[in-house]
Amino acid sequence: MTPLSLIAEITHRCPLHCVYCSNPLEMQARERELPTGSWVETFRAAGALGVLQLHLTGGEPLARADVAELVAAGREAGLYVNLITSGIGLSPDRLEALTEAGLDHIQLSFQDSEADEANRIAGTRAHAYKIELARRIKGHRVAFTVNMVVHRRNLERLEPMIALAEELDADRLEIAHVQYYGWALRNRDALLPTRAQWERSLAIITAARERLSGRMRVDFVGPDYYARYPKACMGGWGRSVILIDPAGRAMPCHAAGAIPGLEFDNVQERSLRWIWEESTAFRKFRGEDWMPEPCRSCDRRTQDFGGCRCQAMLLTGDASATDPVCTLAPKHDLVEKVIGQRDSLPEVDANWVYRIDPVSAAG
Amino acid sequence: MSELTGASQPKLRPGCRLRESAGESDMLLIPEGALRLAGTGRKIVERCDGQHTLDDIVRELKAEYPSMEPSRIETEVTTFLERLHQKRVIDF
Repeated sequence: MTPLSLIAEITHRCPLHCVYCSNPLEMQARERELPTGSWVETFRAAGALGVLQLHLTGGEPLARADVAELVAAGREAGLYVNLITSGIGLSPDRLEALTEAGLDHIQLSFQDSEADEANRIAGTRAHAYKIELARRIKGHRVAFTVNMVVHRRNLERLEPMIALAEELDADRLEIAHVQYYGWALRNRDALLPTRAQWERSLAIITAARERLSGRMRVDFVGPDYYARYPKACMGGWGRSVILIDPAGRAMPCHAAGAIPGLEFDNVQERSLRWIWEESTAFRKFRGEDWMPEPCRSCDRRTQDFGGCRCQAMLLTGDASATDPVCTLAPKHDLVEKVIGQRDSLPEVDANWVYRIDPVSAAG
Repeated sequence: MSELTGASQPKLRPGCRLRESAGESDMLLIPEGALRLAGTGRKIVERCDGQHTLDDIVRELKAEYPSMEPSRIETEVTTFLERLHQKRVIDF
């Protein structure tokens, strides 16, 4: 088995405070971040393992001063280099340096099509700047994706959001419903769409895909609470993705820290190959041996791999349970209950929790 | 949308490139994915440089695969380029 993607969370620092951030609630402080050389080594090891794509993300990856060096190191290791960014800190000079270093793809995240709402979600005023930046990116030879995160509060503006991506001449638009881990799970009541919203969004996406066919690729990630079957989370545990956190811990996915008892080996202490092939964390839910019924005898087990282990943990307290979003899961009632309560909930955004930056251990 | 003609000069879009590797690269890397190129696929993609016309590509492939039915090469190249265009991998 060969990993295809390496997700490098090079820092947890970020100027934005998005209420649905996929970072864990407990983040790695700056002093624990891997030095440039360790990342370079890690990329080399990833290339040798057969990894094709490197995703530089965070936090805000640009919070580190060595991003251009890391891009160059990724290219030297034979990897396709993608930068996932809010764009904050991407000055014209820096953009130039990154594309010179061989950056293949920039994914720029937007929080909304409307400045006020976008700034409210991000807890900072960044929207107008992002629009200006998008125009600048188009002046470079690099693939450009607009990322839109959607949820209860902005779904009604899905059409203007698609129009914005068109106006910015994106090569690709990725519309992703918030997934409920970390900060988003904390703020789930304020973010989970109603079933009617979800169905409407699906119709809009389908129409947009047809209309934009051959002009802009539109990728879509649904809110899995409304799905019939679970998502093939990370393409299956330990099957195609390695995530490295800012301190060098190698994990099978962003939220794996939510599973108690899992130990994550560090790339500074173990080789990436050993971690991929031998470490307990990567082997824990690889294959089918761990599967309970109904997964074990389910025809879909080779498509969705039993769904998401972290979601199973967060919702049922058992990481080995069938992902409760699956309509066949014994604990599916947990999800039904959340969805059922959704419409009767008051607007609770006043209480939502903004993501804060990692606090220094010394502080 | 522009039509693919014999004079079209297909070119890989930004962020779409063949994987650099020591041996023969048969991987076309694109945003969020990779396409494994089989047979003539690689030969075609290598020529998507904005210089070669569709006619050039067909002519060169005919020379490289003399045992293949010429009309089949023409259809294969055209279909393949249209598919890559649909996937937003090339412009022409």
